[in-house]
Amino acid sequence: MKSAVVAARRRILVFSGVGLLALFVLLTVSLTTGEMSMPATTALRALVGLGDAGDVLVVQQFRAPRSVAAIVAGAGLGAAGCVLQRLFRNPLASPDVMGVTGGASLGAVAVIAAGASQTLIPLGALGGGLLAALLLGAFAWRSGLAVTRMVLTGLAVQAGLAAAVNLMIVRFPAELAGSALQWTTGSVYGRTWTQVWGAGGAMVLALAVALVLHRRLAVLDLGDDSAGALGLNTSAARLQLLFVAVALASLAAALAGPVTFVALAVPHIVRFLTGPPTAASLALASLTGAVLLLASDLVVQHLLPVEGLPVGAVTATLGAPWLLVLMFRQSSPVQRSHA
Amino acid sequence: MTATQRGTPATGVPSRAFRHISLFLVGLAALVLCAALSLALGARSVPLSTVADALFGDAHGRDALVVTGLRLPRTVIGLAVGAALGVAGAVAQAITRNPLASPTTLGINAGAGFAVVVAIFALKVDSPAEYVWFAFAGAAGAALFAQALARRAGDIDPVRLALGGTVLQLVLLSWTSAVMLLNQRTLDEARFWLAGSLSGRDLGVLWPVLPMLVLGLLISLALSPALNALALGDDSAQALGVPVARIRLAGGIAVVLLAGSAVAVAGPVAFIGLAAPHLVRPLLGGDHRLLVPGCLIAGPLLLLSADVLGRLVIRPSELEVGIVTAFLGAPLLALLARKVAR
Repeated sequence: MKSAVVAARRRILVFSGVGLLALFVLLTVSLTTGEMSMPATTALRALVGLGDAGDVLVVQQFRAPRSVAAIVAGAGLGAAGCVLQRLFRNPLASPDVMGVTGGASLGAVAVIAAGASQTLIPLGALGGGLLAALLLGAFAWRSGLAVTRMVLTGLAVQAGLAAAVNLMIVRFPAELAGSALQWTTGSVYGRTWTQVWGAGGAMVLALAVALVLHRRLAVLDLGDDSAGALGLNTSAARLQLLFVAVALASLAAALAGPVTFVALAVPHIVRFLTGPPTAASLALASLTGAVLLLASDLVVQHLLPVEGLPVGAVTATLGAPWLLVLMFRQSSPVQRSHA
Repeated sequence: MTATQRGTPATGVPSRAFRHISLFLVGLAALVLCAALSLALGARSVPLSTVADALFGDAHGRDALVVTGLRLPRTVIGLAVGAALGVAGAVAQAITRNPLASPTTLGINAGAGFAVVVAIFALKVDSPAEYVWFAFAGAAGAALFAQALARRAGDIDPVRLALGGTVLQLVLLSWTSAVMLLNQRTLDEARFWLAGSLSGRDLGVLWPVLPMLVLGLLISLALSPALNALALGDDSAQALGVPVARIRLAGGIAVVLLAGSAVAVAGPVAFIGLAAPHLVRPLLGGDHRLLVPGCLIAGPLLLLSADVLGRLVIRPSELEVGIVTAFLGAPLLALLARKVAR
């Protein structure tokens, strides 16, 4: 029994190492390539402000914020998905199912429709995501938060908000429809340091809270009765966890728009790789999310023959094969009951 | 009057049967009312008496033409599509044993959407009637692929089916937006179809898929007793001698036939398939022998009332039914969720 725990821990360590390495390599690649490519050492020196002024400008002002935005958003989505799937006890739970994505899209599209400046769009997305969560909480709370009610209410909120987005896209003139679709697919194009620091700082805070609250998540996994018998106020714990997950997903949406797939798939990928969930695998999930989103952004920027596609158009294509291969490989009935 | 007198027996079982029958009758009456309203209301409202005259061929003139030429096909299509979606939702939730499952979860709407967008982009087709076969092929392809993904040791694993289908759906959705963002003309044409609508279609759109739709309905009704066994869990069902794998396969085929034809005719109308079973379950209980026929009524009821509402809210223009179903269904589901005990 103990050796199994040790083995799981070792596996998580190994995968974290691999993930960090991959993240570093991808970050270097994203800093060095572009209109004006440069050697890796030049790019890394330029990142800390050394070397040719032009290089420094390109790396510090254009490439770095974009890459960091992808990393931060990916990390948030991965962790949010992890928390939500365990909270809802449903392998399909993700910000898409519970309304955060719809809220963020609606916020962004409403800003576009109002003709306000582009810089307000992330704020619109953040506000929309939080609004969706408030709706979810208000409808689902009835002397406590029960799982089924939370799931159904989340679906309802998402459906209503998605319909509102759809309504706007159908009624928009064609050119606005294009830019709205671009935003609702999710993109990290043209992020600035102000946005990245703002959302990134809050994201680090939210991730820390998620790790701290992880124990409550583990107790909730035992079922409502056992968790209550252990002295946990299940509804309050669920509300706290829900709030953290929503904050993570909304902040990610504020940076990158409502990117789908990452939050759904990453927790499964991590579980297939490392087994039953722990606090460490929650951290690994955010690392995996960051790698996936950064890699997708590189594909969008450099590997596709067409320009200007949003990163959300690629995340699923890039992430799905991994998940499907892992799904095919795992076949023991024990894991099946965990899924 | 007579019905209430007959309906107060002392024993429990007949009173439940009576409750079910009266619920079915109320549902049917509501459906007939909705169909009548769908024939009468719209940009140009027609009195019900004229509608009746027009239907029986006694009336001529503009009103009659509107009813028989535009609204009758639309209503018939709405009935067929709604029934298909409602039943497909019930069966999908039964075979995946997941209350979040719906035709959408199996990738059906996304497959149809992607096929249509590609057809608009590459083949320059430009009317709903021309989309039918692309949509059906895309829907069937996606759903069969999702089921192939979920197959293991001859059976379909419900968790895998729901998960694999959702993954497939997200991949297809991302490809759809990529194609739409590549090409402005495609975006401009596809966004209306992708919203899901009953307008601008004549019965010629329905005929080609009708045999598949009816076959799907028959399979679902025949399967409904077996779906009850499936709800007990695979092991218990197997122990009862129920061929679990075969039932799940047949159920999957039924969902493909039903939801594929629905999306081919009306475009991706979300939510009916998800909401109809959730609406019927609190009324009739979880017995699939009642649930499936219940959804057969609840599906078209939801779809037609949404369509009528969509025609009324911003007269003389109208809202796409797919948008209205989501707006209408969302609070409904939220209310139902509040009622769910635990």
